[in-house]
Amino acid sequence: MGVNMTDAMYVQLLDLACGAFLLTGVLVLWRRELSAIVWLFALQGVALTALIVVLGSWQADLELILVGAGVGALRAGLLPYLMRRALVAGGEGRETQPLVNVATSLVVAAVLAMLAYALSQPLVRLSPTPATQAVPVALTVLLIGFFVLVTRRRALSQLVGFLLMDNAITATAFLTTSGVPLVVELGISLDLLLAVLVLQVLTTRMRAAFGGTDLDELRELHD
Amino acid sequence: MSGVVGAVLQVIVIAVGSPLLVGVMRQVRARLEGRAGAGIAQPWRDLRKLMRKEAIAPHGTGWVFRAAPPLLAGTALVVAAVVPLVTTASPLDGVADLFAVTALLALGSVALALAALDTGTAFGGMGASREMTVLALVEPTILVSIFALSIRVGSTSLGSIVTATVEDPLSVISPVSVLAAVALAIVTIAETGRIPVDNPSTHLELTMIHEAMVLEYAGPDLALIEWASAMRLSVLLGLLASLFFPLGISGASTGALALLVSVIALVVKVTLMGALLAAGEVFMAKLRLFRVPELLAGSFLLALLAVAASFFLA
Amino acid sequence: MDSLLVVAPVAVPAAAAGLYAVLGWNRITAWLGVLAAAGLLTCAVALATAGRREALAGLLHSDALSAFMLIVIGAVALLAMLASPAYLAAELAAGHTGARAMRRYGVLTQSFIAAMALAVLASSLGLLWVAIEATTILTAFLVGHRRTRQATEAAWKYVVICSVGIALALLGIVMVHYAGTHAGVASLNWAALAEHAGRLDAGVMRIAVMLLVLGFGTKAGLAPMHAWLPDAHSQAPAPVSALMSGVLLSVAFYAILRVKVIADVALGTAFTRTLLIIVALASLAVAALLLLAQRDYKRLLAYSSIEHMGLLALGAAIGNTLALVAVLLHILGHGLGKSVLFLSAGQLHQALGSSRIRAASGLMARAPLLAGAFALGLLALLGLPPFSLFASEVGIARAGFAAGLGWAITAALVLMLIIVAAIGRHSRRMLLGGEPGEAIALPRSVAVPLVAGLAACAVLGITLGPLHSLLQAAATIAGATP
Repeated sequence: MGVNMTDAMYVQLLDLACGAFLLTGVLVLWRRELSAIVWLFALQGVALTALIVVLGSWQADLELILVGAGVGALRAGLLPYLMRRALVAGGEGRETQPLVNVATSLVVAAVLAMLAYALSQPLVRLSPTPATQAVPVALTVLLIGFFVLVTRRRALSQLVGFLLMDNAITATAFLTTSGVPLVVELGISLDLLLAVLVLQVLTTRMRAAFGGTDLDELRELHD
Repeated sequence: MSGVVGAVLQVIVIAVGSPLLVGVMRQVRARLEGRAGAGIAQPWRDLRKLMRKEAIAPHGTGWVFRAAPPLLAGTALVVAAVVPLVTTASPLDGVADLFAVTALLALGSVALALAALDTGTAFGGMGASREMTVLALVEPTILVSIFALSIRVGSTSLGSIVTATVEDPLSVISPVSVLAAVALAIVTIAETGRIPVDNPSTHLELTMIHEAMVLEYAGPDLALIEWASAMRLSVLLGLLASLFFPLGISGASTGALALLVSVIALVVKVTLMGALLAAGEVFMAKLRLFRVPELLAGSFLLALLAVAASFFLA
Repeated sequence: MDSLLVVAPVAVPAAAAGLYAVLGWNRITAWLGVLAAAGLLTCAVALATAGRREALAGLLHSDALSAFMLIVIGAVALLAMLASPAYLAAELAAGHTGARAMRRYGVLTQSFIAAMALAVLASSLGLLWVAIEATTILTAFLVGHRRTRQATEAAWKYVVICSVGIALALLGIVMVHYAGTHAGVASLNWAALAEHAGRLDAGVMRIAVMLLVLGFGTKAGLAPMHAWLPDAHSQAPAPVSALMSGVLLSVAFYAILRVKVIADVALGTAFTRTLLIIVALASLAVAALLLLAQRDYKRLLAYSSIEHMGLLALGAAIGNTLALVAVLLHILGHGLGKSVLFLSAGQLHQALGSSRIRAASGLMARAPLLAGAFALGLLALLGLPPFSLFASEVGIARAGFAAGLGWAITAALVLMLIIVAAIGRHSRRMLLGGEPGEAIALPRSVAVPLVAGLAACAVLGITLGPLHSLLQAAATIAGATP
């Protein structure tokens, strides 16, 4: 790719993609409507794609751009499509009672951002390029995803939390080393897709067995 | 010299134009809702009518009640003189940086809330307590988000921030600016009492915030408050425009023509934003009161992330 | 030919999975799984004698450690597959399953075994990750096989918690790759990473190793991310529980062993040692506490697995040759003993219709062979001679005292004492006493693996025979310090 990009422009585009990536992650925490959450997840997929494509254009690496396109197709296209289908089939619109209320979880997200910043210092120190300096953003999204997974009570929101974590890991991979080897990348994408499919089937079964996807219902197994 | 002229100009533009802005916004709402509307000069006509009435204070209220309207209008005028709207070279810029501006805005709000408490009525107290809840979240957000923008410049002077943006307009397209812009936009809406935080045209006391505080005012006092509120709205919208889209703003030494262009640019930008805000309000319902802190906590988080990002992505 | 031998352990079960997909599960194909497992075991033994091998352009690679893990996989798979036909026949008779579900069972168990074989043969951290994540996906529907509320709940928790844990491991891999790239190693290959481990950035590696231990530890059922294990292991069909508890946990632990080799060079032994000791003692404590008041015998077995994983972590933390040989032997002994127990527990569950401890009483009188196997299995797991777990536990303890980790060993021994008391109390209630009920039949095809597993475990406790040199070689590869 013979795109002529100045340093400043590269940094700006990269930061912008990272900002969008972070913003969509935070907004997932904010919104209660499941359909909005799925939309935000799709938007985050777009931001991730943009991130990879910017990195690829900067390094003039066609393979990286193609991988980016693949990642985009999966995370901004296929996965949101599958989730939307599950949503339509389920007919449950909202996250009813998160364990931590929304205002508090937004404040928690601020703390998580600080934590991510502290955690990623050794990573940035190893090679302080504009790309690695954005790693804290990815780790913030990782922690937010984990937080969503732990505190939300709908099967679909938990799924989105898991996928946020996964997006964040992918972003970290591309920001630090322009991605893991291609074989592994393919394996990861396939595993991710299958995991989503498995969880989707389980959601359907859960609906059949419990009459809903409220995970508070899951308390038959305990000691 | 042009700085002084510019500062005077922007005070005049704000003082005269802000009721017109409210008029434009009401007109936009009316048209979108299929009504004819009262015309954009209606707020001025209202103010004129109120000014001619006799000043009445409720029985048992003290000086706090009487001092609040002039204080509110006074702080709004000072802020209008300080904030870079027409020119970045206001002579007051050195003494009044972002902290002073925030403090002045808060001073006005607090004065009004105290006045509402002074009346001793149920609705006054309720409005005051709600206003304080909102204020407690709005002020830190304004501070933090403008602070995020100031890190890049290395100064908390609003003039320097805007000047830096004028010199490098593309720097606005960065996560820091985007996050700060979203946060500031939300708090502007909250601070000026618009939907979805508050409804400026409500007549249902239970849902009021701002309106509940001014229920006991009448005549010239009410006119002053209405005028000041309109000025605060215009100033905040203008500040938002200057920070993120400083096109046409004048520097330190410019001629009369440039100042005129700046004034026109300001009017156009603020009118456009006001119209957009009004159009948005038509399609939106007011949030339930207990959801408001959620919205504001979110905007605070965005502001904080903006600061974090300015360190992360430095 | 060489490379064929390395590919075969993955290809054989994969082919069996394909055959099940085409032919379905019937009285004849039911024994296909046994055949595949026997084939896998044969290949494993052949690889053990063959030394280092590579295949598929270096994607797969076999050394003594992989070969040993393959032997464990093959042995446990053989036991589980031997018991499968009778188990599924009984499920079918009870109306818990149908033709489609049985076909799926055949396909998924074989693919599951293939994925585990791939995990231990993978020459790179990345491929290992893919294989281990694949086991989660493949076993999800096996855990939820019965489609009841409990099974669905267990499957959901299993997939979510394990996927999150494995995702953390992936982040760790990304960071290893980052550190590697800056040290001039652009691949995730074990050998390459171990060779240049000294040059990897310590700050990055510290985070990476923590994430990898936590992530693979989730899959290995180590505390603090163990919550899925009792649910999943108690809800899965008995042969699958045997596979999951007997080998899947150890395969995940194998990943930790491999990571430890690199981490020890990059960060010194102290870092991983501290991490593993914390995890080990936490796992033992969790197991001890929850075993005390356990009311369900399948969950009892599951918590015992957490205990044994804790012991493995403790042994790995010690890290000298004796400890690592003992750890590897413990993996094999635990695999055999735990599969015998889960298989017999499956028979009990089918006969009694409940997995409550209270529902079972006087089993010794009602089903002498089954109850005998259950009792001997428990004795083996509690570490009593002549079973091999006695030898390996003594080995770990001796190595620990020799390495100056006496305090950790003492703490572990106290916790194990509590566990022995708890399991002893529960099993006495199940096996002895109570009013005798009707007799429970034990199909001969299930009795064979039960007896065989116990016999193998006992023989290993007396003599290692030819395994001795393999274990030594594997321990050296696992980074044994003298």
